[in-house]
Amino acid sequence: MDFKKILVAVDASENARRAVSYTGEIVGGGKGFRITLLYIARPPERLHFKEGDYLKTDFQHEKKRAREFISEAKGLLESKGIDPADIEERIEEAKTLSVAQDILGIQQDEGFGTVVVGRRGVTKAEEFLFGSVSNKIVHYAKNCSVWVVE
Amino acid sequence: MPNPVKELIKRYRPNLSIGEYGRIVTDTSEFMEITHGDVISLGGLHYLVIRDEAERSFGIEDPKYWVKRCFVLETGERRILKLVFHESFPLKLGSLEIPCYRSPEKEAWILELVKGDKRFMQGVTEYDEKGNPVRVLEVISGKRLDSVVYEIEAGHREYFYDHFPSILEKFLDACDAIRFLHRSGTIHGDIRRDHLWLEYGSGLYRWIDFDYTYDYHENPFGLDLFGLGSLLTFLVGKGIYTKNTLEEYGLDRSILSKLNSNDFSLLYRNRIVNLKILFPYIPKELNLILMHFSAGAEVFYESVDEFLADLEKCLGRIKGRGKGV
Repeated sequence: MDFKKILVAVDASENARRAVSYTGEIVGGGKGFRITLLYIARPPERLHFKEGDYLKTDFQHEKKRAREFISEAKGLLESKGIDPADIEERIEEAKTLSVAQDILGIQQDEGFGTVVVGRRGVTKAEEFLFGSVSNKIVHYAKNCSVWVVE
Repeated sequence: MPNPVKELIKRYRPNLSIGEYGRIVTDTSEFMEITHGDVISLGGLHYLVIRDEAERSFGIEDPKYWVKRCFVLETGERRILKLVFHESFPLKLGSLEIPCYRSPEKEAWILELVKGDKRFMQGVTEYDEKGNPVRVLEVISGKRLDSVVYEIEAGHREYFYDHFPSILEKFLDACDAIRFLHRSGTIHGDIRRDHLWLEYGSGLYRWIDFDYTYDYHENPFGLDLFGLGSLLTFLVGKGIYTKNTLEEYGLDRSILSKLNSNDFSLLYRNRIVNLKILFPYIPKELNLILMHFSAGAEVFYESVDEFLADLEKCLGRIKGRGKGV
């Protein structure tokens, strides 16, 4: 795996913004890095049950939020000295029930040597009930480095 | 002009007398206005509304105005009609609050999925003239499982050795039903003690009420798993044990000195989960499963598969005894 091929998994959160900023600080000015900003957009579960158009609208809003965030993140990386030609913007619809699994699927399939995620810190109870994308990535990642930015 | 409801009753149930003849309803959108004596016309049948359903919680009756207990005029059968009510509210679990959405569409979808599977309540979805998906549910003739277990006249040791093994066996089947939902890409969403019923006659354990949905969670089955864990803890203990209820169960308060904060529930910090301290004859393996739901847990179940695999091993150890319910 090429550790200079970096997958930065984001949502539109402050933690993700920190992860992007950290990546920029580490990589900015370096040679041979390729950074992919990846946003996995999930349709609401309720959409599955054909509950109505307002949920589809919600999902459209999420995609719009994703585009705006990715664009902002790209600007942040550029401001740290990364060549825009080395940054890929990418929004994918979720393929599985787990965002972590989707991220790791892309990492494996496309040979990313580094995965970067933000983490907000969760309580034990929250981890049990809701799970944590970053914890799952740390747990299940293979053949790559994982940077968890808190 | 004759009342149309009166005419229907005269036609189908001439011996039936009701207090008040209402109106015939074909659009169920305004469910608050549908009351006793009205008839809901749906899918070619007429459902005479008897009353609103209610949930009892802490001794207080909480009416569910969108759920109507009905009598089918054509067949004489009892049915429960769940009318469309979209609401969202914070679901409280201990100190956590989770945004929760009531989804009639989800429940309709699951009803279709589990058609014929008696581990779940059964029913069909009929659409009223405005396209509202009304769930027409068969009435389960039975009782909440937790009430049945609580009322078994036996001390804990006798209960645990004589009754619990067959209860556990049936509980495994109920867990398998939840696993089926998960494998089908959905969740129950509201696994609570009052949502698993024991059906009289068949002795089946049957899940009811699955219309809750949530926002996306990375661990989509966590809520259901926690519900199963809480239910198992109740079944193992034949009750809920807190610092304040030990004496009600005939346990000495001095036992509290053996407990620390890790022995209590992860979410309900007053509930004792480490039941082996109260009842030392509970096998270690079974108690370890309960401890996955405790404040001291370091590893959590992520799937019903994992939970069931551990439970099946326990069942193998304690099976072969018991009267069950």
